Order: sequence, then structure tokens, then C-alpha cells
Amino acid sequence: MGVETQRVEDFRLAKEPYYLPLGNEVELFEAAYNSRLPVMLKGPTGCGKTRFVEFMSWRLERTLITVACHEDLTASDLVGKYTLRGDETIWQDGPLTIAVKSGGIAYLDEIVEARKDTTVVIHPLTDDRRILPLEKKGEIVAAPEQFQLVISYNPGYQSVLKDLKHSTKQRFVALDFDYPPPDLEEEILRQESGVDSDVASKLVKIAEKVRNLRTHGLEEGVSTRLLVYAGQLIGAGIEPIAACEATICKPITDDFDMQRSIVEIIATQF
Amino acid sequence: MTFGPAVGNVGMYVAREMLASVPEDQRAAYLSIVEQISELKYQLGVEVARQLPRLLAEHDPALVATYLDQVRAVAALGWKSGVEVAKQLPDLYDAPDPMLASSYVGIVTGATTGHDEEDAGTAELTVELERLERELREMEPKVQRAQELKTLLSARDRRDEKRRKHAVELASVLPPILARLRPRYRPTFLEQVNRVAAADPESALEAADTLLDLLNSERVSPDGAAEWVDRGLDVLDRNKEVGLGYFRLGSKYSLDVLDELREGLALKQVARILKLYATALCGRDVAIRSTQEMYAIEAFGSDHVVLPPDMRFFDDDEANFTAYKVATAHGAGRIEFGTYEFRLADMGDTVDRLVARYGASA
Repeated sequence: MGVETQRVEDFRLAKEPYYLPLGNEVELFEAAYNSRLPVMLKGPTGCGKTRFVEFMSWRLERTLITVACHEDLTASDLVGKYTLRGDETIWQDGPLTIAVKSGGIAYLDEIVEARKDTTVVIHPLTDDRRILPLEKKGEIVAAPEQFQLVISYNPGYQSVLKDLKHSTKQRFVALDFDYPPPDLEEEILRQESGVDSDVASKLVKIAEKVRNLRTHGLEEGVSTRLLVYAGQLIGAGIEPIAACEATICKPITDDFDMQRSIVEIIATQF
Repeated sequence: MTFGPAVGNVGMYVAREMLASVPEDQRAAYLSIVEQISELKYQLGVEVARQLPRLLAEHDPALVATYLDQVRAVAALGWKSGVEVAKQLPDLYDAPDPMLASSYVGIVTGATTGHDEEDAGTAELTVELERLERELREMEPKVQRAQELKTLLSARDRRDEKRRKHAVELASVLPPILARLRPRYRPTFLEQVNRVAAADPESALEAADTLLDLLNSERVSPDGAAEWVDRGLDVLDRNKEVGLGYFRLGSKYSLDVLDELREGLALKQVARILKLYATALCGRDVAIRSTQEMYAIEAFGSDHVVLPPDMRFFDDDEANFTAYKVATAHGAGRIEFGTYEFRLADMGDTVDRLVARYGASA
């Protein structure tokens, strides 16, 4: 189904997503929204950035259009392009244009993955002009007050080749995310996967130990999302060690020694 | 072009033109004479073959006979003189004075012959020379054999010299090695080093060093040490240099044999897993060290967990790994909770804290 065949209202969240605030991020986001400032969410994979945006879109009653950025993402993919439809050529708005026109929240996930020339397209939307030039169409779309641009990126993936340009970074209000403190992470696990406090506590302890291996061969620690998966598998009747191996150990490393050490850590809890 | 095989050996000396210049009725005699003269000396035959046609052309058999007699006579004394005489004589026969040719032959004969006494001496010398040469030819195999024996003995002498030198070194290094060796392994050590020393003292030097480490660190049992030496002696028997490498633990085969003989789980096999495990448990970068590295103890920081080089409490490696894991967790606990950070100067504060928490009577 093409984007233009969906109604914009389809992108509005009808049900409140579960989100447990870790600090003052909700207030900060609301303040930025009210001041029409773009927001940048920084944090490791699976720590709740996307869930936070969903929560805020529900809270602010805005539609949410998410674009998962990748290295082949072009400016046309974002803003729109002319396309053949039968025997006529029609203009098809891209997701960013749809979000701008509808006054929703445009969420560009993992923006650092997109081509550098693509990220420049969003610049006019992020300063006081708040406009989106559609160069191919010769049109400029002014963003309504309700429009909000949100980007996310994972600082752990930074490299010379993959990093946001400073001219891009310095246009955003940045909110730092990290794995939740143990008590909150346990609460999240109970809510999201339905495990009891004991299992949630053990899973969080495992995560805490495994995260100690960051910079010792692990690119990233185990995410809250993976802990939720583990809890869900355990809830589905899978033996805890097997569930943890499948969700906590194997997805994060292919290094045999690393896997073995993580399995031993899991075994100290279950 | 030479005259063909039809004239037998003479074909080598008589060109077709030469034969063509001989009167037809004398050609058979010509070839016969050349053949006879050639048997004396090849060069003489060639020269006679060149000169004879002009003599035969004169149809004077007496002249031909004189020529041949004079040539033969001079050639018998010296073939080179004979060749020269054969070349010059036909011209001298043409001289008006018939005595000229015979005087010429007389002078050449006298000059070639020399004194009789000298000839007799020359003959004796020749005989003696021939005898000596024959004896020398008979001696040749013996000389060759003597040379071979000389080389062999020299090589053995060099080898024995090296052997003695390495034996001296062995005598010097064994006592300090024995002093460093755990007493219970000394009999095994001495027995095995003795076996290697009997085969090659240089290899025994290497074996002594290696066995010291292997036995002290208990990487091999006494039986394992004997087996390791057995295999090494086989290698040494085939190639000395490779055998040296084996006893130095410098060959893959030597290490493979050790692995084969190993009993228990080696720390090096699981050190990285244990390091990651300990690092995860205590949240600090932890290094795993073997007790073999205790000599570097002053370099150890507080973030080291020291473990035995192999674990052989249990029969299976999984259980031995668990034993390693328990020891590692214990070490990691000490690191995590600050055992090594205790300072005597902090005792006062610690006591105050304890008193504040539990009361002075506690």
C-alpha cells in the first residue's frame, strides 16, 4: 500500500504506548515541541528512543511518521518524487513532506545511516524558517506550528565515515538516553513481558554484567528490548537459560569466547 | 678427399690425387708400402704416401727400396726425425752427388741416436718408471680409502669434541636446575635427562631446561615426561637439528605431544572466557594470570586473578572449567568489593564506621 493511499490519520496512535519516564525527558520534549524546536534522541540500540517518540506523539496527539534511515536513502525518498502512474506522471509526496503538510511528528530513525546529502534536506526545517523546499516540484512547503522533527542516532556507531555533521547536530535539542536504572528496568520488564519480579530482577542483573563487557569486545551491551524478548520467551514457557541464550547472548556477539562467558553469567542467575 | 674403404687402412693416408699420380701397374705396391710404413707411425705413413709417387714414377725399384730402408732406419731411432727424412730425401736423391743423401741420413741418424751408455740408462729408467707407475696404479684404491678414513675420523673427532664440550656445559647447568626442581620430580628428571644425554648431550641441555618447566608446572606427569622423551629420542634419531628443536619445545610436534599427554584443563584454553567472565562480574578490566607467572608478581596489579596453569580436580573438562569459574568468581569478588584496596592507614576510619554502625560493644 503506497503512502498516499493511506490516510494521515492512520499514523495517529490510538492507544497509549507503555513508556516509563527515566528523567525529565517528557518535559524537555514538550518544551521543545511548544517552542517548535527539533529534537535529537541519542542513545544505544533498544534503550527506548522509538518508544519515547511514540509515547510523545500519543501524548501530544500528533500523527507519527517514522522513516528508518539507511545508506541508500535519497532526498527524493524523503521529500517525494514524480512517478509514472498509468499514462500520466504524478507527484508523490515522501514521508517527510506528508508529516510536514499534516503537522505531525516526523521521526528519522538512525539518521546517521542516511547519506550526508540527504540529511542536508532537513536543514531548512530545523531553523526558524521551518520550511521544506520541494526542488523538483518547484514548491516550498511551510511547516505548520504542530509539526515536529525528531531524529535519533546511536553515538556508539560513530566513526569517521558515519557521524552527523556539526552543521546538522547543532540544529537540535538533544536528549540523552541510556539503559534504565535497575529498578526501572525491572519495572519495564514486568510491564512489557509479564514476568514476575524475581525473573525481572535476574534478567536485569544479567544485563548489568553483560553491559560491563562493552569496550571489552562487545560493541553494545544487551538492550532493554532484548531483555523484554527474553522475558516474553520465558513467559511463553521456554527454559530461562535457553531463552536468555537466544535473546541476550547470540544476538549481540558471534565471538565464541564472548558467548561462552555470557552463558556463564546467565548461569549464575538461573 | 681420402681414398675409400676399398683400400682398407690406407684410405686414411692416401688422397685420391696421390693414388692417381702413381703409375697404374705400381698402385698395389704403393698402397702396400704405405700401409706397412703407417704401422710404424701414422705421421710417417702420411709423409711416405706424399713422397712415394714421384719415386715410383722413375720406375727405379732399387731407389724406392733405398728410400724405404733409410726412412725406416731413422724412424726406428726417432719417428719425428724419420718423418723429416722421408720428406727431404727425394729431393736429395735428385742431387748430382749420390753421396749427399747417404751423408744426410748418417748425420740425422747420429744426431738422433746419441751415446750408447745413455741409451742403456734410459732403458733402465724407462723400466723403472713403468714399474713405479704400475705400483702407483695399484695403490690408487688404497690411497682413496685412506682419504675416506681420514675424513671420517676427522668428522668423528669434531663430533666428539662438540660432545665433550656439551657434556661440560651439562655438568655445569644440571646442579642449579636440580636446585630449582621440586624434590619429588628429581628422580624422573634425572632418569629422562640421562637418556637424552646418552644420545646427544646438546639435546640433553635443552631437555633439562624444558623438563624443569614441565615437571615444576605439572604440565606433565612423570609418566608423561617419559613418553615425551621417548618421542623426542625418535625424532633425534632421525634428525639431530629437528630433535634439538623438539627438546627445546620449539617444534609443533613437540607441543602436540605435550597436548596429547596433558591431563586436566589448561588455563590457556579458557583464559579469555574467564577474563570476560570476571570483567563482566566486577565491571573492571580483569587480567587472568597463571601461577607460573608468579615470578612477575610485582607487575601484578589489583585487577589480576591468579589461577593454576591447569585444572585437574575432575576427570572431565567441563567440571574442571566449573572449578576455574568458581576460582575466577572468587577473585572477581575480591576485586569488585575492594579486598586489594585495603590500606592499614584506613583502619582507624574503618573502626569508627563499624563502631558507629554496630556500637562499641560489638
